[in-house]
Amino acid sequence: MKQLIFGNEAVALGALRAGMTFFAAYPITPASEIMHILAEREHEIAFVHAEDEIASIHMALGASLAGRKSMTSTSGPGFSLKQEGIGLAHMMEVPLVVVDVQRVGPSTGMPTLASQGDIIQAAHGSHGDYTAIVLYPASVAECYRYTIEAFNAAEKSRSPVILLLDGLLAHLSETVDLEGLAVDVMPRTLPPLGQGERHFTGLLAKDGTPRTKNPGYYREWFARVKAKMLEAAKSYSFSELIRNERADTLLIAYGIAARVIRPLRDEYSIFRPITIFPLLEDELRAAAAGHKRVVVVEMNDGQYRGEVQKALLREVLGIPVLGGAISLSEIRERLHDL
Amino acid sequence: MTYKDYIKWHRMPTTWCPGCAIGTVFKQLTFVLADAAVPREDLVVISGIGCSGRAAGYFNVDSIHTTHGRAIPVAEGVKRANDKLKVIVFSGDGDLAGIGGNHLIHSSRRDVDVTVVCINNAIYGMTGGQMAPTTPEGAKTLTSPFGSAYQPVNIQGLITANRRHWYARGSAYQVLHLQKLLREAIEWKGFSFVEVMAFCIENFGRRLGFRNGYEMLFKLKQDYKIAFKPEGPLKENELGVMKNDGQAG
Repeated sequence: MKQLIFGNEAVALGALRAGMTFFAAYPITPASEIMHILAEREHEIAFVHAEDEIASIHMALGASLAGRKSMTSTSGPGFSLKQEGIGLAHMMEVPLVVVDVQRVGPSTGMPTLASQGDIIQAAHGSHGDYTAIVLYPASVAECYRYTIEAFNAAEKSRSPVILLLDGLLAHLSETVDLEGLAVDVMPRTLPPLGQGERHFTGLLAKDGTPRTKNPGYYREWFARVKAKMLEAAKSYSFSELIRNERADTLLIAYGIAARVIRPLRDEYSIFRPITIFPLLEDELRAAAAGHKRVVVVEMNDGQYRGEVQKALLREVLGIPVLGGAISLSEIRERLHDL
Repeated sequence: MTYKDYIKWHRMPTTWCPGCAIGTVFKQLTFVLADAAVPREDLVVISGIGCSGRAAGYFNVDSIHTTHGRAIPVAEGVKRANDKLKVIVFSGDGDLAGIGGNHLIHSSRRDVDVTVVCINNAIYGMTGGQMAPTTPEGAKTLTSPFGSAYQPVNIQGLITANRRHWYARGSAYQVLHLQKLLREAIEWKGFSFVEVMAFCIENFGRRLGFRNGYEMLFKLKQDYKIAFKPEGPLKENELGVMKNDGQAG
């Protein structure tokens, strides 16, 4: 059955389809509708309108440890606050989904206008080194599908997976056939609390005993966790390549920016990462091969461009689209001026 | 089951300094858990950061050592995810009433069924002895070298501001009384909070002129009196329970 739904709604429905039974969040534009829709399901799932962003991610973490698939959602200002809990979930290896519907920052910025300014924060927002899985859909159907995949990736990697949206995608309405979308749902992988004697800690620990003064063990631990993350991420490496044999320029864009530049496929090749982290290095290299220029079009000051340049080891140009306004004509003009 | 079953013996000795009060309180709680015969697989203990925050790892049950101030929201998530679990937060005053103060206000307001045991030693001990929200007015610490200019936070007031509430104050000296409080707290349906008046010899007491932990323990004996039937809120020197099942008043 086809229905008209919007991005945030698709995220909420995708989470329910994935088997999420715990949701805690704090209201924030432009993410609040995810909360509103899940509040209506209060009798089916555990729903908490928490006192703040920090509480909500820590509640989700506790609920995940206790056995429920858990999610929290927010926008930039709240995403900054949640970084503490994201780091804790990485350290404790707790599956979790964190949705960040991006708006223009820094700080309170332009709350109702869309941006893609949280790209680096999504990968590196918490302190210390860790490997994050970050997904970024570009349509309402994809919001649904990749919310489910985010839960799957969280279970597979036992980590907090970030699902990025932006204010435009979140409020974009499209007709979709949700039942028709075939997506596998992964069962829980973490045995719930109540097993007897495990100790989950934010400290570096070995079998539940803190090892806080042992650099050698840290390196061993880090290598294990990084390998685990990269291995898990392989199963969730999503992207789309539209190759134009006549084009000498490859455009790279994700999320709403990818949507906007889609008509340019007649003139350019377009690569759209859906898994934006860990960086899809092989796919990026394959896409860039045979193109004279690589240009990243994104609604920030070049955050992903730098990442792509690192991966490709060649000059990558960028079209930073700032201030919450994006238009095809502007991008077309700036491409001609490059 | 004896109290020994609730302790992770391979983690002993603890990180706590000789003369510290936390171990005494930790042990009283294990006595109470054994008396109440709480099955280990039904129990989860959660701590935040600080000296008291290390306690979770010493309980021989599934336990969580969260980031600073977040023990209560993690506990609320656990309890709402699985109502069958007995959830106990064991942490310190700086963690619960300082950095985690907002969570304390709101989880107690939502009356989530968890028990919070708060070691109040009036100082940030682990980080070297900085002023806590519970530090008495005038007390000299690393961050109040001329004496704290502020009144200590009134935790009793915060908790009892909720119409339905369960708050108790005990001390690390009056341990039998403390055991009674802990027992009643874990049996209370809803949010229960036990503030345990304790002390820190190494990073607070010595600067105040105490020579050892025993002197500080003796000071607790001198300072605090048990009020079995308190009239109105507990006075500053009283130990006891303030509760309201939400029906009266």
